[in-house]
Formats: sequence, structure tokens, C-alpha cells
Amino acid sequence: MNLHWSVVWDNAGALARGTELTVLLTVATMALAVPGGILLALMRLSGSRPFAWFSASLTELFRNLPLLLVIYASYYVLPLALGVAFSPFVTALVALGLNVSAYNGETFRAGIASIRKGQSEAALALGMSGWQAMRVVVLPQAARRVLPVLASTWVSLFKDTSLVSVISVGELAYTAMLIRSRTFRVLEVLTAMAVIYWFLGYPQAKLADWLNRRFGVSE
Amino acid sequence: MNMRDDETDAPKVLTYLDVRKIFGSFVALAGVSMEVHKTEVVCLIGPSGSGKSTLLRCTNGLESIDGGEIILDGHTLPRDGRGMRAVRQRMGMVFQNFELFPHMTALANVASGPLTVLRLPRREAEERAAALLEKVGLADKAKSYPANLSGGQQQRVAIARALAMQPEVMLFDEPTSALDPETIGEVLNVMKALAEEGMTMLVVTHEMNFARRVANHVVVFERGTIIEQGPPTQIFDAPLVVRTREFLSHLGWAG
Repeated sequence: MNLHWSVVWDNAGALARGTELTVLLTVATMALAVPGGILLALMRLSGSRPFAWFSASLTELFRNLPLLLVIYASYYVLPLALGVAFSPFVTALVALGLNVSAYNGETFRAGIASIRKGQSEAALALGMSGWQAMRVVVLPQAARRVLPVLASTWVSLFKDTSLVSVISVGELAYTAMLIRSRTFRVLEVLTAMAVIYWFLGYPQAKLADWLNRRFGVSE
Repeated sequence: MNMRDDETDAPKVLTYLDVRKIFGSFVALAGVSMEVHKTEVVCLIGPSGSGKSTLLRCTNGLESIDGGEIILDGHTLPRDGRGMRAVRQRMGMVFQNFELFPHMTALANVASGPLTVLRLPRREAEERAAALLEKVGLADKAKSYPANLSGGQQQRVAIARALAMQPEVMLFDEPTSALDPETIGEVLNVMKALAEEGMTMLVVTHEMNFARRVANHVVVFERGTIIEQGPPTQIFDAPLVVRTREFLSHLGWAG
């Protein structure tokens, strides 16, 4: 069997641009899904029934549907529902953002619940409002506690972005598949793709492990 | 109406009238009436579960009351959130487990009330905090995090944090119960100094020596009611109620 690695070098530029988009998609999704998750957690814990119900429904919907289905659904349903056609990138961002927000919401909810009641009582006893106690005392502590979990969500997200190749977002997986279908060099392209994902993913996973050791055990 | 025979001329800061609190089927407070006068130190003693801490927590609205009323400076305590918030700013609370904010330095803990609640400029809040840390003998620990302080030091920071709101009355909920024996003294000394400055204090405690020496008035709780109250000389040297004597001898109090 002959391997022609030149196919990788010849397409290095395209692979680099795909990689760039994969990283950008990961960062942009997290940038949406962290505030999204906090919002969902706060709604769930707000004590307002409509808010809590809305948050719980959204969370359970997107946590329990396959991501691939959510991506396809966003691609076909969003333009129909809103009457506007988004770019594949924005569509991907919506789908990934909803999915990861749902996970982050549960993460933050558990994080907030893990801060003992005495902490918010101490804040209230100083005369803080419920929101001030949350913002100044509870959330900063919860954030530290959930950091390791967010980090592993991040690593999963980095790999899951490959799923949006099905709606032709030109990230790494899509680019690699395009090169494959043009050149028919399956093994070379898959290997290149594996190497890129692994070498980018490994340090992230190590960082997540480190965060887990650093912040996982508290007090 | 005069509830007490050791009545002082100082104005009443807190008045409790037939205060009741029920948790499910457990009666935590079964009609408690007492007074705290300005500059007085009132110690609440009694077996655990007798309602002392509950009374303290009802005073600053961490628990709601189910009957009676609590009067602060002539005004019945409000039951709504906004009103209660204003009241809490006038009372400092010190907890058994300190409840310092672990993600903030000692200085930031003390400054957190003035900064967040009073919205003082950061410099002013931190100056106030530094002065209070100095006062509790921890000026050199300003930059330390709670995890790096001993229990006694943490509790002194917690006292400074409560004082930073310049409260009219300080509530202490078993402030030394979670401490190692060797650090209890430093906390009690800070409290004693505070009492000597004229701070009005309501203290739930198991430290009978402190109550004996520092309190102006001692209130004995049992099963959600007050069984006896009076000056420390009465309670510790010549209790009028048999159960007071029994409780004290249980603790090994020799008089």
C-alpha cells in the first residue's frame, strides 16, 4: 500500500484555516454558553415558577437530544421559524450554544447549591440583597468549584465541533473530508486530522486535569 | 411594664414581646419576652436546642417569627425583605462557624459590607477595614486568606467584618463554640474590649466565665422559654430557679 503524504503538505493551508475555525467555534460557543449556563441556573434557582419551568424545560430538551439532531434541526428549522437564513457558522453556534448552555446550566446549579447556606446568610446579615449575596459571595465561589467541570465540557466541545461539518461549516473535519473526497487519500487525511485534533486536545485535557487538582477539592 | 428588676436607665434597643417560632411541629420559641438596653451585654445561656440561637436569628430576620413582636429602637421589625435589609444593616452578626468569605482576603472580607451595601469608595472602605483589623489585633493579616488563619483569627476578622457596618447592636451566635481551646481567649478578649467601649451586645454562649464577668444581664433558656433572667450575680451565685442550678452544675459550674 502506497501512502502519499504530500496530500497533507499540499493542503496544509486549508487544514490550518479549518483548525482556526474549529478553535474559533469552540471559543465562541463557550463565550455564549458560560453566561447562558449561569442564566439558566439563576432562573432555575430564582424561586419564580415560570422562570424555573422555562429553564428546566430548555435544559432537559437540549441535554437529552443528540447534538447531531440539534445541529440539523437548527439548520432546517431556524430559517423557517425566523424567516431569516443564517450562515452555517452562526447556525452551528446556535446549536452548540444551546447544547453546551444546557450542560453548563446544570453544572452551575450544582456549583451554587454546593456553597453552604451560612455563606449567603453572612452576606444577608451584612445587609446585602439576595442578588448582591449571589454576585459577591456565592457565584465567585461556585465558579471556582465548577471550573474543573467546565474544563472537561470544553474538551468535549472542542471535539464535538466536528459534528457541525454536516451543515458545511468549514472547520477542521469538514475541510479534511473535502480534501479526502477530492484526492481519495483517506488514510493520509484521517491521520492528519487525528494528529491535529490530538495535539490540540491533549494540552487542553491536561489543563483540565490540572484545574481539577487545583480547584477540585475546596476548603 | 417593667420586665426586669435589674432595670437600667439606658434606653431599650431591643424589646421582645411574646416571640414565637415553630419549625414544623417543633416549638423553638414558645413566647419569649425580654429587653436589651443600650450599652448592655446580655448573655443567653441554656442547653442546646433551647431556642437561644433561634432568637438571635429571628432578631435579624434570618428566620421569620410566627407570633409576637420584636421592637428595635421603638419600631416593630418589618417582615418584608426590603425593610428587613435596612434593619440588618444596623445589626452586626457573628456566626459560630465564622462564615468568612473564603475567596476574599481578610481585608476584603471586612470591606465587603461597606463596599457592597453602603457603596463607599474602595479606598474609604479599605481604610475602614484596615482600622478594624488593627482594632482586633490582625493588622498584619490583612492580605491573608481565611484558609491561612487560625479559628480564633478568623472569628476576629468576622467580628471586624460585622463592625464595619457600624452597627447599633452586635449579635454573637456561639462565637467560640467552634474554636480550639487555645484560641477562645483571644476572641473573648476582643468581645470584652468591645463591651467596655459601650457596644450593645446580645451573646449566645456556653462560656460561663465570660457571661459571669462581662454580662450585665443573663437570660436562661430551656425548651423555647425563659426560665430565669437577672444579673450574673443572681444567675451564677444564687439562682432562683432549680433548673438553672441544674443546668449550671451540668456544665461543671462551681459558682
